[in-house]
Amino acid sequence: MKIGLEMHFQLPTKSKLFCSCPTSAAEPNHNVCPVCLGYPGSRPSLNRKALEVGVSIARFMDCKIEEKVWFSRKTYFYPDLVKNFQITQYESPLGTDGHFDLNGRRIGIWRVHLEEDPGRIKRVGRSGEEIAFVDYNRSGIPLVEIVTAPDLQSPEEARAFIDQLVIELRSLCGLEAQDEQTVRADANISVGEERVEIKNVQGLKNVERALKFEATRQSKMLAAGKKIVRETRRFDEERKVTMPAREKETEEDYGYIGEPDLGEFRIGEMARSMDLKETPLARARRLVEAHGISEATAKQLVLTSLSLTDLFEELCRSVPTEKAVTWTMGPISSNWAVLQTHPDIRSEITAIVRDDAEGRITDNEAKRRILTLAGVAQEEAQEGDADLGRLIADFVDAHPEVLADYRKNSKAANTVIGHVMKESKGRYSSKEVVEEVRKELDKMV
Amino acid sequence: MSSPGTYDLIRYAQRKHRAFTEVVETLDESKFHFSAKDNLCAEGFQARAGSAVLDGYSPPFDATAIKRLKMGGGQLVGKTTMDEFGFGTFSVNSAHGIPLNPFDLERSCGGSSGGAGAAACLIPGHVALGVSTGGSISGPASFCGVVGLSPTYGRVSRYGLIDYGNSLDKVGLLSRSSDLVWRHFRTMAGPDPKDPTSCAQPTLPEKGIMPTSLAVPKEALANIDPAVGKAFQQAISKFQDLGVQVKEVSMPSLRYALPAYYILATSEASTNLARYCGMRFGRMEEDLNQHFNDFFTGIRSQSFGDEAKRRILLGTFCRMVGFRSRYYLKSLAVRQMLIEEYRRIFQEHQAVLTPTMPFLPPLFEEIGRMKPLEMYGADFLTVPPNLTGMPHISLPCAYVEGLPVGMQLVADHWQEMDLLEAASVWEGAFPYRFPEVVL
Repeated sequence: MKIGLEMHFQLPTKSKLFCSCPTSAAEPNHNVCPVCLGYPGSRPSLNRKALEVGVSIARFMDCKIEEKVWFSRKTYFYPDLVKNFQITQYESPLGTDGHFDLNGRRIGIWRVHLEEDPGRIKRVGRSGEEIAFVDYNRSGIPLVEIVTAPDLQSPEEARAFIDQLVIELRSLCGLEAQDEQTVRADANISVGEERVEIKNVQGLKNVERALKFEATRQSKMLAAGKKIVRETRRFDEERKVTMPAREKETEEDYGYIGEPDLGEFRIGEMARSMDLKETPLARARRLVEAHGISEATAKQLVLTSLSLTDLFEELCRSVPTEKAVTWTMGPISSNWAVLQTHPDIRSEITAIVRDDAEGRITDNEAKRRILTLAGVAQEEAQEGDADLGRLIADFVDAHPEVLADYRKNSKAANTVIGHVMKESKGRYSSKEVVEEVRKELDKMV
Repeated sequence: MSSPGTYDLIRYAQRKHRAFTEVVETLDESKFHFSAKDNLCAEGFQARAGSAVLDGYSPPFDATAIKRLKMGGGQLVGKTTMDEFGFGTFSVNSAHGIPLNPFDLERSCGGSSGGAGAAACLIPGHVALGVSTGGSISGPASFCGVVGLSPTYGRVSRYGLIDYGNSLDKVGLLSRSSDLVWRHFRTMAGPDPKDPTSCAQPTLPEKGIMPTSLAVPKEALANIDPAVGKAFQQAISKFQDLGVQVKEVSMPSLRYALPAYYILATSEASTNLARYCGMRFGRMEEDLNQHFNDFFTGIRSQSFGDEAKRRILLGTFCRMVGFRSRYYLKSLAVRQMLIEEYRRIFQEHQAVLTPTMPFLPPLFEEIGRMKPLEMYGADFLTVPPNLTGMPHISLPCAYVEGLPVGMQLVADHWQEMDLLEAASVWEGAFPYRFPEVVL
């Protein structure tokens, strides 16, 4: 099975692609001006920020980036398209021939380009009597289109691909408006020879559903000895089926010409001088390689918080990886929301964990200190501590012979340890209990 | 009898010569007065670009050129008639009146800025904003006996201009004297962030340099009306008398300019005109209860004139898969080739001199008998500098049978001040004549 995706993501800019209208939510037809309404006499000027974000995505995908690019007009008639042509990139995308690593597999990226979004049509009323409203707030919103090679092998993989791509792009350029529900994709899928295109599917789940339906449909047809026709289909979200789109079967002729109002943009130098942020999944891959931690741990770490990951990497420089993992994924992770607000938290925690790793303090003490830093957990930590001391004292009071035995043989401590472990129901690690019991007994003898 | 006042002349030009689609109610005498071709947007006026499809469109903004002239102390007194979207050589393709020549009401003003040509001629001191895509300033300047400057592509912001061919359109000026053109051109020119193609221009110099050597391509003199040819030879002699060298040269690529121009201009125009569909602005009286395709087709069929439809068909054809590289992309290459040919000439000469139009202002009945291709052919001298984006100026150079003959000077990119300098010198040696207006 071969699946290729064309995805559209809204870029995180404050203003539209070719005018200064805001991209924020508003009453219908309030974020509009002569440019994004296509009024005669108006003309586009490019939002520099959108170009930069687009180029950063192309570079992130390791695309080939030309020195200069330009825009094109894609002409078709539709009520939501104000000029009846869309300004997009045709001969001259931002990037071509890149790739994206999906769980160790390399997925080809054919092209990355910028384009403007059309308006939105809303239909109201009963079928047959419906009224169509057009909201042009969306007209001119900047989109990046990413087209993959048909390298995806299953609907699940297609979903995982979009999922991971969104994680990376969100971190790379802050695609805030983008979530799993708003991803828009066209998907090409072929089980046999001929491919079928499913147009305009919205949302991650729907992409997977549409592909699953289509995979089953094509497999059944092939099994029945039928031929699959090359066609464009659409996904019915209600019935969860794909069906032939009403459009003509032949590919529409968009009559592309260059957009003469915008001119050329030199992006080669921009791309080269750009400092790309390390994205979460790329970072996870690096952590696996650098520190030998498991992929699951690495992903959990980067997806929990990037600042927590920073701390982890800092700990790795001073203590064994194993220690760094235990502490980071344990009490630090569960209290990170509070801890990260603490000034200078990295050096504080590093000091504690190093003291612990080098045996200057007990695990319990280290944990107590970390929880103290977290503030909210302080009382609980002290209470817990006292609780452990009290359990030991109570047991010794009830069984004074233990002390006498301990004087002769330190192994007698095991009786106390066993009891406390049982009583504390696993609230403390065995190491903590062992250390605490020894400490208390040593005080008493 | 005292000479007629400016407002009377404006009303006269509107009534008698159909130069204006709309005029103001009163004049502000403290300001200078200018008009704008109807494809330039201005608050307070409709902007219909000669097309019925734009009836009722009142743009909520001023074109940059208009805004700058207003800020420079001008009053916009009216909008001038034109061929629909600039599609024409004689201003006969207009939904809002065909302008009539100031020298002879039976004859054309030229096109597509015909109303601007008539207004510039009939009203002393008036400056008319025109727009040239393939000769729409030079043509009317020649037929109406006035000075017409088409600046370098990108010199004047196109913000607020209703597009014909975006890679060719230029906002320029028509007036009775080069001095007026010079003054107001300086006000209009300069970068404007609202039109990115205006932002790469070098600074406009204060004053130009008088060309010392002019090139006359021999290819330009074939197919010229003998009367125009003779008048042009006299102009050459006059230039020589002024101490300017005039030399015949060969520019073999000129013959490819016309087809390349019509392919590029109509390709762009057919996408520009896609937006006129009866929604959002302009004409909208259609029945809403139908499929959008039928709705769009209905309003477009009714509202566009024949020439607009012809150019939409031509341009759409040239953009089709399979024809794009044969026509559209090849025309882009021709444009580049022609630029190089001009550059070669400009190594030795400062300007290229030709007649502006190949014949005298034609009678409307003659135009009625012309086929579309013959009409397109009339632009063969004005199209080359337009295709290459080079500045050019048309100046009156003779009067034949009481009708003006124009000549055209073309300079290298950004050298429009040299053209204005030449115009100023020319005017010193050749006094212009204007028809006497009797109200």
